[in-house]
Amino acid sequence: MNRKKDKGFESPRPYKLTHQVVCINNINFQRKSVIGYVELTIFPTVVNLNRIKLNSKQCRIYRVRVNDLEAPFIYNDPTLEVCHHESKQRNLNYFSSAYTAAVSAVDPDSGNGELCIKVPSELWKQGDEMKVLKVYIEFSLDQPKGGLHFVVPDEEGSMAERGAHVFSFGYQNSTRFWFPCVDSYSELCTWKLEFTVDAAMVAVSCGDLVETVYTHDMRKKTFHYVLPIPTAAPNISLAVGPFEILVDPYMHEVTHFCLPQLLPLLKHSMSYLHEIFEFYEEILTCRYPYSCFKTVFVDEAYVQVSSYASMSIFSTNLLHSAMIIDQTPLTRRCLAQALAQQFFGCFISRMSWSDEWVLKGISGYIYGLYLKKTFGVNEYRHWIKEELDKIVEYELKTGGVLLHPTFCGGKEKDNPTPHLHFSIKHPHTLSWEYYKMFQCKAHLVMRLIENRISMEFMLQVFNKLLSLASTASSQKYQSHMWSQMLVSTSGFLKSISNVSGKDIGPLIKQWVDQSGVVKFFGSFAFNRKRNVLELEIRQDYTSSGTQKYVGPIKVTVQELDGSFNHTLQIEENSLKHDIPCHSKSRRNKKKKIPLMNGEEVDMDLSAMDADSPLLWIRIDPDMSILRKVEFEQADFMWQYQLRYERDVVAQEEAISALEKFPTPASRLALTDILEQEQCFYKVRMQACFCLAKIANSMVSTWTGPPAMKSLFTRMFCCKSCPNIVKTNNFINFQSYFLQKTMPVAMALLRDVQNLCPKEVLNFILDLIKYNDNRKNKFSDNYYRAELIDALTNSLTPAINISNEVRTVDNLSADVRLILEEITRFLNMEKLLPSYRNTITVSCLRAIRMLQKNGHIPSDPSLFKSYAEYGHFVDVRIAALEAVVDYTRVDRSSGELQWLLNMVQNDPAHYIRHKILSMLSKNPPFTKAAESSLCNEALVDQLWKLMNSGTSHDWRLRCDAVNLYYTLFGLTRPSCLPLPELGLVLNLKEKKAVLNPTIKPEMAGSGATEPGAGTNFHAPAAAFPSSMEEEHMAMEPPTSAAALPPQGLKRKAETPLGSPPEPGQFNPQEEEDIDMDTVHDSQAFIYHHLNMLERPSTPGKEPPSMEQAILSMPATPLPVFSKETNSSSKHSEHHHHHHHHHEHKKKKKKHKHKHKHKHKHDSKDKDKDKDRDGHGATNSPASGRSLRSPSLSD
Amino acid sequence: MADPAVVGSNSLGTGMRSGGSKNTSSPAENYHLARRRTLQVVVSSLLTECGFDSAEKAAVESLTEMIQSYISEVGRWAKSCCEHTARSTPTLSDVVLTLVEMGFNVDSLPVYAKRSQRMVITAPPVTNAPVVPKALMAGQKRTHPTHIPSYFPEFPDPHTYIKTPTFREPVSDYQVVREKAASQRRDVERALTRFMAKTGETQSLFKDDITAFPLIAAHPSSIPYLNALLPSELELQTLEETDSSEQDEQTDSENAAGNIINDESGADKENSVLPPGGVVPAVKASEENVIDNPYLRPVKKPKVRRKK
Repeated sequence: MNRKKDKGFESPRPYKLTHQVVCINNINFQRKSVIGYVELTIFPTVVNLNRIKLNSKQCRIYRVRVNDLEAPFIYNDPTLEVCHHESKQRNLNYFSSAYTAAVSAVDPDSGNGELCIKVPSELWKQGDEMKVLKVYIEFSLDQPKGGLHFVVPDEEGSMAERGAHVFSFGYQNSTRFWFPCVDSYSELCTWKLEFTVDAAMVAVSCGDLVETVYTHDMRKKTFHYVLPIPTAAPNISLAVGPFEILVDPYMHEVTHFCLPQLLPLLKHSMSYLHEIFEFYEEILTCRYPYSCFKTVFVDEAYVQVSSYASMSIFSTNLLHSAMIIDQTPLTRRCLAQALAQQFFGCFISRMSWSDEWVLKGISGYIYGLYLKKTFGVNEYRHWIKEELDKIVEYELKTGGVLLHPTFCGGKEKDNPTPHLHFSIKHPHTLSWEYYKMFQCKAHLVMRLIENRISMEFMLQVFNKLLSLASTASSQKYQSHMWSQMLVSTSGFLKSISNVSGKDIGPLIKQWVDQSGVVKFFGSFAFNRKRNVLELEIRQDYTSSGTQKYVGPIKVTVQELDGSFNHTLQIEENSLKHDIPCHSKSRRNKKKKIPLMNGEEVDMDLSAMDADSPLLWIRIDPDMSILRKVEFEQADFMWQYQLRYERDVVAQEEAISALEKFPTPASRLALTDILEQEQCFYKVRMQACFCLAKIANSMVSTWTGPPAMKSLFTRMFCCKSCPNIVKTNNFINFQSYFLQKTMPVAMALLRDVQNLCPKEVLNFILDLIKYNDNRKNKFSDNYYRAELIDALTNSLTPAINISNEVRTVDNLSADVRLILEEITRFLNMEKLLPSYRNTITVSCLRAIRMLQKNGHIPSDPSLFKSYAEYGHFVDVRIAALEAVVDYTRVDRSSGELQWLLNMVQNDPAHYIRHKILSMLSKNPPFTKAAESSLCNEALVDQLWKLMNSGTSHDWRLRCDAVNLYYTLFGLTRPSCLPLPELGLVLNLKEKKAVLNPTIKPEMAGSGATEPGAGTNFHAPAAAFPSSMEEEHMAMEPPTSAAALPPQGLKRKAETPLGSPPEPGQFNPQEEEDIDMDTVHDSQAFIYHHLNMLERPSTPGKEPPSMEQAILSMPATPLPVFSKETNSSSKHSEHHHHHHHHHEHKKKKKKHKHKHKHKHKHDSKDKDKDKDRDGHGATNSPASGRSLRSPSLSD
Repeated sequence: MADPAVVGSNSLGTGMRSGGSKNTSSPAENYHLARRRTLQVVVSSLLTECGFDSAEKAAVESLTEMIQSYISEVGRWAKSCCEHTARSTPTLSDVVLTLVEMGFNVDSLPVYAKRSQRMVITAPPVTNAPVVPKALMAGQKRTHPTHIPSYFPEFPDPHTYIKTPTFREPVSDYQVVREKAASQRRDVERALTRFMAKTGETQSLFKDDITAFPLIAAHPSSIPYLNALLPSELELQTLEETDSSEQDEQTDSENAAGNIINDESGADKENSVLPPGGVVPAVKASEENVIDNPYLRPVKKPKVRRKK
């Protein structure tokens, strides 16, 4: 967890895994089930290794043997149901802490796991001799909800003919979902993988395919893979299906796989992969580490790209034919990303989660280098700016992204990210958006390091990491060497300082150890007398997501005599900086003006201030600070900057600044840029939208035809008949993109009545009418889609009387024309579908816009039919977006239910994820506003969804948490009725206080309180729950500080399940399990699996369950004991501690009490269920079962 | 079913037509009948000459047939002879040659012609020569130029070689062409989609009038990605066309002018990254045999089961 002082890696486990066999004997597509076994070879590193903890989720485990001896085992997964007891809490603070605790409790990085195997006592002796143990586990998976995804099209024919396939997926370390393993990025071992599949199918997995052998009945074949390079379990994957095989024509060790019929697309899409290989190998001066590489394209992929050791799984939707323009760069980017992660992420793994940023940073950084080489410097700088803007916006919105969290302090005020509603301690508790931003920031920080130490050194460091790793990987029998393949923050920094000799400590401290970005405000004045530029740079470092920057900053000043760089020092109190100017103000003699790049240009200087030699000023032009700059300079300066500065970033900045200056001069500058063919096409595209905005601001004074119309006519229409567009010829991509964008921007024009000018609408309709692609070698589907988008953009609210029913008759003529086009396009798409159904997507958006603007009746049924499973995923997303929007606008609870239903039941994981994230982005209501939708049933439903309904998919669970946060905030949702008790007893302080929830404004304020965790009473106020919990939460922290020794605590724990037999275990043992009480482990696991399969409908499991689970200490408790203080704000925590004290005091009584309580519990069960109404969990849980022996007595 | 007026007019029409056909055929028939009658008279008089008093009708008919054949044969042969010598009208010598060829002693002919008992037959009644329906006159019939002797055949009827412009000048105006192509395509598309919408399930945007703007209902497919990713046949077809006629200049000549200059930088770069379709595989195809890729290796037969 913490940054290690030395490079040595200390395993959290009392053993070292060296080799693992995974054998899947049978994959049944009909039943969606998998049967197999694993065998782990481990070397104990402690004397008396008596328990082995492994990770495993949803697997049904039939038997476990250790060195051929049957071994008892226990399976407990606290993440299945985060808050076990039926609490009425419903507040997110509580949930988040409980969830973090649950994830910690099974976190392999702290040596935990869901599966606890007791080593047979016969083998204990072996520990002394450090002998090898072989752990053999038979398991099966039945209809897995996570980890493996089955795609089985509902058609006639055999599974192979139907194109059925299965592949592994997951967010971060999720391999435990499909086979038992040590699911950690830091536990490396070599692998032997065997998969027996139908003879018509191919099994693609990691490593080298050694041989393929038929089974005896010749109906199946077994694929044998060997992966000799030590690899972490999360980097193991599998894809099985009737794939078509393409051996890369340039590199025979690379094989591509796609679903039937797509081979031509695969051939085209993969035709440049070798260039990416060559590029990376060249810059890293290191060969690709694996002996082979496989790409597999699957349907219903979880993410577009996922990389595993020597293979990558992609979404099949990345494949495209030679006719498609827009998808080509996107697909290439995805391939480049996947390959970069092969080096850093798969081959080089990480020590702990807090080192993740190094891997993401390096892979993202070298991917950026590839972008620069392939797509050019302009594209690269544009991309960097885009990423920078994204991260800045996100951090300012949410309060910061922390790359390298440290959890050493343990005190709750050390919580590094109190501003977030989730913990960043584990990857599995992160919101997906945060994780994306995390990756974005990581590669930007790598770029900052490069700026600091030069690219040459940077690449040397990477090379060093890789060569160390490849040396280590070849050490077959020295598994302790393998830790060289793990990267850590400290190791990486050490490499940097060794190679470059530079100290980048401050940089790391600023951007890696600390969250937030810098917000600069700049303004200037020119002092004519002194010929000095007085620059003022202020910072906002108080608002959320910001930090203070102290250090150098580069300022570039373009003067008449040339461009000059100045490095200023930002210090504590200096705001003003004097920069001497080189040029004496304006001269009249005409002379070319030298630019930064050495170019000399003629400029029309008439717009300039005659007294000042300044043309434009840029702050931090190289983007070497993660910052947002708001700089004030005169409009003519922005115009000069746009026209003459050659850096695309400067041009883009100028364009966005010019939005505020709607003048003819701005108009001219933008038009000139639009026409300039040397200008980067994305700048020109941006200029279109800016021009539209300016035109709208200038509407009363605008002269001439609508903006861009004559320009478009000149560029793309026939000379002889200017109203007709030329037949499509997209061979020049720059003009293609411009041709696509201009109509979309033009449609945003508005006249004095705030309507889209008739002229523009007719113009767009003509473009559609005369569109002719017959002679084009490229598909025009994206172009047509954008023309529909243009129609959408032209829509303005209908001037109907609000209550009037929208009918066909009162459609306005323009809308009728638009609708006509949309209908035709949408219908034609059924007969001649376009690539990725782009046209349907645009049509659906247009229809929603027509509805929203009141032209046609608002009705979600059309979208719902397009959102059904079985449509192309892009179409479904567009339709769902419309339904989400409808839900918000019409406040429809029916549609919200429909969406949530789909979240629970849709076969495609990506869709489920998208629905929740769209709901969070466009929420039906928010915590700030009242809504009829906000009711108790919805709270319960969402709570159940995140508590137990999404246990199979980390990403989805975090999405659900996000949505809950968006809708209800951190505290108890306001729509819930007040708890029954108005008074709360604080037993510790021996006084009664008013239940804090009675003061809703106070509870509400908790959400915005930045230090909610720091004030001890604040979270307590946020936990309006049943009385006994309340009082425990109110307990002051002093009790937490006075923790009992762990051993004692353990003792207190064990009696919960069954009587302890202390003699059997070493009393120093930290996490003790009373194995012998589990008499029939198989039957026991069976119960668990039953529960597993229906986590949301607990309460049916036999009472024995309760006992079994309680016997296990693998509940969150151990973690608390270790990391106590870091999470001590969690109420559950206190609550446990409280009990620990109690237990300590009354150890003896304890046993009796619990026995009593169990009876009590099972008796109460039915009652509970009735009371709970919504059938929420009453599965046995620490919380409830612990709940107050004192009270139940 | 049909109303009487129609029937009447129909029958009237057919009646008129059949009447017309009879009128046209009767002169030819009359002509043939008259000729045959003349021949019969000739046969009868010859028989009388030879001393017959009477003859059976059938015998007369046979003899008539024979004489007719003979005369026809003479005529045909004579025509061949004349054409053989590149003339169009038979001369006496042609007839003589014919008779000789047919084994007739020509020298006996004058004697026979001057026989005493020869009966003179009255000339057959003059019947109208059959009216050959005149071909439609088109243009001026051309006469022979002076250097061609008049015995050469006449020029054929002008309608066989004169071109008669029966179409209008095609519209070559670019604007109109585009306009037409656009509206034609739009009409076809609209008609087609309307048809599909009429014949299948639809969805509607309006509740009051479900026939306005009908949308073909969305049907989920079991493998949605195939349709969405694979280019449609139409696109493939156009791709082939553009490939073959890539150098075709655009109708609107300036259309390409602007692009060509810019193309080079863009196209160069593009080509370097995007190797044109089949080239690569074609080159590598020959090496296919030597590729050692584990996925291409044959599947092994199972080994003999080992005992556990």
